[in-house]
Amino acid sequence: MNVDEARESLAFSEHARKRARDDVGRPWLALVLLGSLSVASLSLTDAAITVTGLLWVFAGPLGAGAITLYAYRRNRSIGIDSSPAAYAAIAVGILILAYAVGWIGYVFHEPSLARVGPAFIVVAGYLVLAWIERKWTIAAVSLALLAVTVAIIGLDLTSDQSMALLFSLYGVVLLAVGFNLRAGRQQLL
Amino acid sequence: MTHPSSALDDTIHQRVRLGILAVLSESRRADFSYLKEVLEVTAGNLSQHLAILEEAGHIQIVKGFEDKRSRTWITVTRKGRTALASEVATMKALLEGIATIQRA
Repeated sequence: MNVDEARESLAFSEHARKRARDDVGRPWLALVLLGSLSVASLSLTDAAITVTGLLWVFAGPLGAGAITLYAYRRNRSIGIDSSPAAYAAIAVGILILAYAVGWIGYVFHEPSLARVGPAFIVVAGYLVLAWIERKWTIAAVSLALLAVTVAIIGLDLTSDQSMALLFSLYGVVLLAVGFNLRAGRQQLL
Repeated sequence: MTHPSSALDDTIHQRVRLGILAVLSESRRADFSYLKEVLEVTAGNLSQHLAILEEAGHIQIVKGFEDKRSRTWITVTRKGRTALASEVATMKALLEGIATIQRA
């Protein structure tokens, strides 16, 4: 094997690995992103005490679950089977930390911590995920959530205004996930 | 003193076989048609490479039926994962060494 062949083999295997990683991660990323975004929204708005807000909080993860199930079944049908363990661990880790920070803020009478803490945990979780997955799109979602959080606190937005901002972000993420799944489908068919 | 290239594993460093192990290392299992499509090889060519890797104990092949169609699922073994990591590290070290000599 000469140097050029070695370089070519390594580049080829890296390309194949990246393609498989993209296909494998696609269903689970939707679940992590959309599910934890709902949790961040719960703390940043009065969603927990309104009927429509609660519906959103439950509808978000459920919608993410439906997308994940669809993408998982599609991946299996085209021939790649993956374990959700790593992504489930990331999602559960983010949720536990977010709830813990919210709870600490509540117990120690620090309403600002209870309000923005969970969102900052989700932002940090997304950044870690972006670094692990080497995906700038996840980093972009993280920065967008950070910007929304800072805007809500800095401009002292009302719950309705905060909800509208978070709804917009949710919509953008949903569209990005949809395009990502669509791109993957075209690649595989 | 042995040459660093002697650490390379002949069953793995071939381009397609390295690609097969790379794909399998990212998933729980992949089927024959997925590998064929991702690696852009013919069925005959892929079968030959899979047979070599299976004989070396780097992968396991399970044939069966799902939804009334035959499917061949391929899984990387622990030995295969270790061999892939070692091979990639050796190749990168060799290329780095050559690059260093060329720069000097």
